[in-house]
Amino acid sequence: MSTEQEENAPRTGVGSYIYGIVPVGTRIPDDLAPLPQEGDPGIGLVVAGDLAAVVSDISTDRPLGTRKDLMAHEQVLNAIAQDTPVLPMRFGAVVTDDDAVADELLTPHQDYFVRALEQMKGLTEFLLRGDYDQTAVLTRIVEDNPEIQRLREQIAGLDEDASYYDRIKLGEAISNSMDRLRQQDADATLDPLERFAEATVVKEPGGENGAVHVAFLVRTDHRSDFERAVDELGDAWSGRVNLRLIGPTAAFDFLPEYEAPDQDEG
Amino acid sequence: MPVTVSQRQGGGGGVQKQPSGGLAEVLDLILDKGLVIDIFVKVSLVGIELITIDARIVVASVDTYLKFAEATNRLDLHQKGGKDLGEFMGGMTENVTQGGAKGKTKGMLDAGKEKWDEIRGTDDENEKQSASKSRRG
Repeated sequence: MSTEQEENAPRTGVGSYIYGIVPVGTRIPDDLAPLPQEGDPGIGLVVAGDLAAVVSDISTDRPLGTRKDLMAHEQVLNAIAQDTPVLPMRFGAVVTDDDAVADELLTPHQDYFVRALEQMKGLTEFLLRGDYDQTAVLTRIVEDNPEIQRLREQIAGLDEDASYYDRIKLGEAISNSMDRLRQQDADATLDPLERFAEATVVKEPGGENGAVHVAFLVRTDHRSDFERAVDELGDAWSGRVNLRLIGPTAAFDFLPEYEAPDQDEG
Repeated sequence: MPVTVSQRQGGGGGVQKQPSGGLAEVLDLILDKGLVIDIFVKVSLVGIELITIDARIVVASVDTYLKFAEATNRLDLHQKGGKDLGEFMGGMTENVTQGGAKGKTKGMLDAGKEKWDEIRGTDDENEKQSASKSRRG
């Protein structure tokens, strides 16, 4: 059952798209939707030794990266990550056929993949994102900062051209205040949540209103404690920061380093 | 005060739980993270053109754009009523905040629109292509 295709039939224009790698014997959900492809080939497993790769057929002559493509990659992996460790591939991994998946990806790198899956056992990733309520955060910044208040009053009622430089000054002061706030809030996020995570990665919040963006590697038996702590933080920040908890996702942010072996098979 | 705040937001407090992220989070993960196939497979690798760089720029703008639209909506409400804001502020004088938020939002809105137009102008082809293709699947 190493491949579903007939042997010896080279398929022109069709390759194998790889989503990720799971331990052999893993049952994947039936209703997974693959990257869009004519003929709707469905998602399959290519097995080699202790490993299985999650794959689907894909045209090699169209560029990848539509919204549907991207969401399909993520959703297939997330659905699997609900109950089993999975090593996610970066988007866009295509090889010629399923044989190549077994012979060139799984078999030669078996040791690393098996070890990585072992390390990921019982662990799952969550992403916590928070956005400031714009009005609330601006209000607080203005309230807390006499200099900003002064600038505001100075500008009030003035013609836009006349107040041009003061407006820039005001905007800069607000932006600096927001950066300081982000720093504080990153700490305030880690403080109550870190203890429930095996590892954390603090990421760029992004966007005008981005407040926090942290990835957590959580043990599945700590999951409910973790989620409760997130809820408490959400309540404490209600109206100021809108929190979203995404996951469980495949552990994209916590993959063990791959060290290429010395010998080079040519 | 927290009660007023959550009412005003419509959604209330609490954390939104999502099994998967929106496109912005997805891009952050699957384009920058995950095992890179080139490291493992050399011979049978199929190089496929990725159009995701453009997608990322457009998505960033759309997200920003939507947030500004939302912010403007909120401000419109306050301007009509004025009361919501006063309650929410809990002691701050109304006109100070109203003016401040409005001024800032308008500036950002203009900037956001310029960026969006710029991207739309250069990426139209890509967008159409992806839209028609993805519909087929």
